[in-house]
Amino acid sequence: MRINVLLIGDIRFQFKYGFYFLYLIFTILYIGLLFALPESWREQAAILMIFTDPAAMGLFFMGAIVLFEKGERVLDSLAISPVRPIEYVVSKLLSIAIISTVVGLLIGLGSGIITNPLLFIIGVFLGSCLFSAIGLLIASNITTLNQFIVATIPAEIIINVPAIAYIFGLKPSLMIVHPGVCIIELCQNGDKALPATFILILWTILSVLLTHRVVTGSLHSLGGVKP
Amino acid sequence: MKPLLRSFTMFVGQVFKDTMLIAVCIATVFTAFFIRFGIPSIETLLCDSMGKAVILADYYLLFDLLLALVTPYMLCYASAMMMLVEYDENIAGYLTVTPVGKKGYILSRLVFPTVIAYIVSIALLSWFSLTPWPILNIFLTCLLTSIAGISMALLLFSFSHNRVEGMAMAKLSGLLMLGLPVPFFVFSDIQYLFLPLPSFWIAKFCIGQDFIFLIPGFLSSLIWVFLLYRKFDKKIA
Repeated sequence: MRINVLLIGDIRFQFKYGFYFLYLIFTILYIGLLFALPESWREQAAILMIFTDPAAMGLFFMGAIVLFEKGERVLDSLAISPVRPIEYVVSKLLSIAIISTVVGLLIGLGSGIITNPLLFIIGVFLGSCLFSAIGLLIASNITTLNQFIVATIPAEIIINVPAIAYIFGLKPSLMIVHPGVCIIELCQNGDKALPATFILILWTILSVLLTHRVVTGSLHSLGGVKP
Repeated sequence: MKPLLRSFTMFVGQVFKDTMLIAVCIATVFTAFFIRFGIPSIETLLCDSMGKAVILADYYLLFDLLLALVTPYMLCYASAMMMLVEYDENIAGYLTVTPVGKKGYILSRLVFPTVIAYIVSIALLSWFSLTPWPILNIFLTCLLTSIAGISMALLLFSFSHNRVEGMAMAKLSGLLMLGLPVPFFVFSDIQYLFLPLPSFWIAKFCIGQDFIFLIPGFLSSLIWVFLLYRKFDKKIA
């Protein structure tokens, strides 16, 4: 029950601060751009757009969200409320994953590149959770937005570069253990979609657990609250 | 002049403390290296794998224009985010009633970073461009891209109430760059739908080397700055 309330609160927050409006504009723009490209480029370009923007939304926005909450003393209130850190983490991840998946699906359907909707949804959803978890992990330990932007650069390079290389044809079989490659494989309904699903689930669980640990420490340190 | 310089030094100190300026400087140089050496290598790889003589080479000028625009955009973005943080913490309001004044605040946060961006973008475009550029065109193009950077910073700061909206606005302000590829890909009159964007006129000027396009380029840039400055001015008042 608490998680539902947190989730609705997070969705309202994202709506209020223009995430939905912003991504409505970007969805229309991306679909328009995809139709302006030659047809042979469309699938790769659409996957690249979905992977680097809606799926990675959490990594871009999480710093601003968490810093805003820190500034407004939301975290101090949460620290002394019955809300558990895992509920806070899951609510943040799910609220962003919902908008990421809807936007990813709209771009995918609009450009006609989806061959397996279920795998596509799993790919974007888990990918978004993974990116958001890393964003939340970084955001828990920073004090300014500029610090967050700089701190996310290595994470972006580590996740994006192998995945983008995979989109453009660099496909040694071992690359399937990379989480970014798993997202691409699922979105493209590739031959290794099944192992990619399990590997991506493992990466997501691992990142959520790590984030939970860091967020727990961060919440417990607020106002002298100790576990 | 002394309070102004002190305000600017304070600003640079804050940005350096955040490591943001260092990251921005590294990112612009990295972008320049990538465009100068990475793009031709990618072109060779693509041409070999697809069996074509030319794929990206026709758009080398577009990459150069991107390089000219990226530097002011990044520096003005760092500056705008810093101003937003100062606004959040009420520092902006306090500074405007100190000897620094409103003019000093605007000069130290907007004009000085833009002047630095102008010099850096001229240097990068001179050393790392993929196509030959007459020196006058470099100066004029970088001037226009620097004004575009100011527009982006004004848009970001003026329409954001906090850091979250600032990030959303930063993403949205990227649309101001959309005019750059239009003359390269859209040849019909539909391209003139993008005429309010200064980036569109910058691209038109560089493609045709026609100085007549500088007039709408400067006019559209100044209209953007004028309209956004009014909102910016009210916000920091």
